[in-house]
Amino acid sequence: MSIHNNKIELSTIELSTNIANPKQLRQCDISAYDAIYLGDFSCMDYPNNFCSHPELLADALAEIHGAGKKAYLRVYATPGNEDLPEVSELLDEAVKLPFDALEVHNLGVLRMLKERGNTTPIHLGVFGNLYTDATARVLKDYGVTRVYPNPELSLKEIVYIRDNTPVEVLFPVHGKIPLVISETCFIIENSQCATQKVNPSGKLVCDFPCNQDYWLNRSNGGWVLKDTGRMTLSGKDLCMIEHMPELIAQGLCCFYVQSHGESPEYVAETGRLYRAAIERALSDDALPGPSGLETLARLAKEGLCNGYYFEGAGQTYLGRDQVVGG
Amino acid sequence: MVMMMAPGGTKEMAMRVLDAGADSTYVGVKGWSRRGNAEELPDDQIHEVIDYALARDKQVRIVVNTLPSSTEIPMFMERVKMYHEWGASGFMISDLGCMQLVREQIPTAEVHTSVGCGIVNYADVHFLTELGATYVVLPYRLSVNEIQQIKRENPNTGIEVFLFKTPSGGKICPGKCMMSSYFSFERTLDEDGKDLFFGSASRGGDCLRVCQTEWDLETAKQRHQQEITIKSNPSLWLMELPAYLHAGVGCLKVPGRDRSTELVCDITNVYRRAVDEILSSDAPKLMPLEIELQALRERWKAERNNRDDGLISSALAASSRALIADAVGM
Repeated sequence: MSIHNNKIELSTIELSTNIANPKQLRQCDISAYDAIYLGDFSCMDYPNNFCSHPELLADALAEIHGAGKKAYLRVYATPGNEDLPEVSELLDEAVKLPFDALEVHNLGVLRMLKERGNTTPIHLGVFGNLYTDATARVLKDYGVTRVYPNPELSLKEIVYIRDNTPVEVLFPVHGKIPLVISETCFIIENSQCATQKVNPSGKLVCDFPCNQDYWLNRSNGGWVLKDTGRMTLSGKDLCMIEHMPELIAQGLCCFYVQSHGESPEYVAETGRLYRAAIERALSDDALPGPSGLETLARLAKEGLCNGYYFEGAGQTYLGRDQVVGG
Repeated sequence: MVMMMAPGGTKEMAMRVLDAGADSTYVGVKGWSRRGNAEELPDDQIHEVIDYALARDKQVRIVVNTLPSSTEIPMFMERVKMYHEWGASGFMISDLGCMQLVREQIPTAEVHTSVGCGIVNYADVHFLTELGATYVVLPYRLSVNEIQQIKRENPNTGIEVFLFKTPSGGKICPGKCMMSSYFSFERTLDEDGKDLFFGSASRGGDCLRVCQTEWDLETAKQRHQQEITIKSNPSLWLMELPAYLHAGVGCLKVPGRDRSTELVCDITNVYRRAVDEILSSDAPKLMPLEIELQALRERWKAERNNRDDGLISSALAASSRALIADAVGM
């Protein structure tokens, strides 16, 4: 299916993913991506998390810009009162650097940035709980230029927001769906082998049991979730690769691969396959190629789904032929 | 001055909690609040509750705290204006855009921010105050010190707390959790064309309490936990009430739209006596009331567990339906 009134240029399409720390930046091949969200917004204790290590930001930013890509800095999503000083420190550093945007999930942080006279564009993150065009307009006054809609929104609703507000929408096309965030670490609280130590200044430090994959399986079967300690995600991977032509035809252009907790292979392969799918969708004369669905299914331990896009249960998967009217 | 607000899961409950000593009752609009149909009221009953309350010099708060579809906002505003005309004095709202519209178009209405706003720190309270919130509802987990800090930074904002405390951290609930809808999401339209998402509290259905079934936590190498729930449950609290009122809490929310009328009235009655005792004495005697409350906690747990079982069954059934449809489709 080609796009007939094809005024869409490849340059207007942005494919992004997330990288939590310098080690992941070294390990992951991000060549297929146009933009990177830096940091793990769920856990300030994650090793060398960009969200909590202002001293690491400048180098990462330079490297990503050097590769011709955009860099967005994520800010911790659920700061309690006691976290605000540390978040404040990060913001002070972040606004001095030429980040292309800051990703914010928390209303208080939006306000803190406004108070600082911040001019860096802001992207509202997934736990910003954005459902309506009216809210997008309110947030525009706080410098928000893009929103990551709440996962419960349908494709139709997301397109409506894109069409009726002055903000961009980030459209997740692949990866596990973030479902809930946690104030304490579920893995540390429940893992048989995790230990929680106290460092010399009395702060709790963990030994990162989350470097293994933890799954929540319903004891009597049927339901699966992925738990990364401070966030719980869908067991299945959202996968929209078969629908890229329709998405682009609807004018969506900021596509996101949600790769929190995934391997370097996952990041690289997913990026490559979606890059290819986008190019195919934009090219009038490209031969239909293998969609990459098999590879993506292989990378998804619990299988694939379409989330809430097609107004059905979060866990089901609809291929291209099953969707009537997109 | 503190307002005690008690739930009106049904018309009968709404009226009886007012009789039991609540200053106001909060009632959900069918399809527009974070509970299922059984705990929401149709418009004619809302009107009756408002009349009943006003005749007794009491107030009604309307719960419209779902996160609507963009295209439903005009419907939302129409409904809110109607209830306001009938005499409802305040609204519980989660969507920031709706909040701003209510503030602009109905200046005399009081706005309670709801849990969908996800308040976790005092800067959030600042934000919502600027948007025009009259009361901000603070999450279950905040301490007296944190409330004092919030009140210091926002002296003019009304602070509302649930009479519910979560025992420990963990997955943040309620407000921004989608576990229930991921497993059970089914979408329908009601007679008014309102979108209803079974299994999503944020969208007018019920949270189906999937966190309360039994779960195993596993890695490839090891099963770490077997048959655990993945979120702990809140319980009613009392002994800290003097400290909270002293810290500046102005609105107390008795939970329980989804509990039995009898239980909710008994709870309201205890808290009424507690608040009166606290306001009239420098050394309030709360222990006898705490003992009464302990019995009510047991009844609460029993009712909740019963309801959870039913909800989880619904979720499993919905899941099966969806996955069968998926299999057939493929």
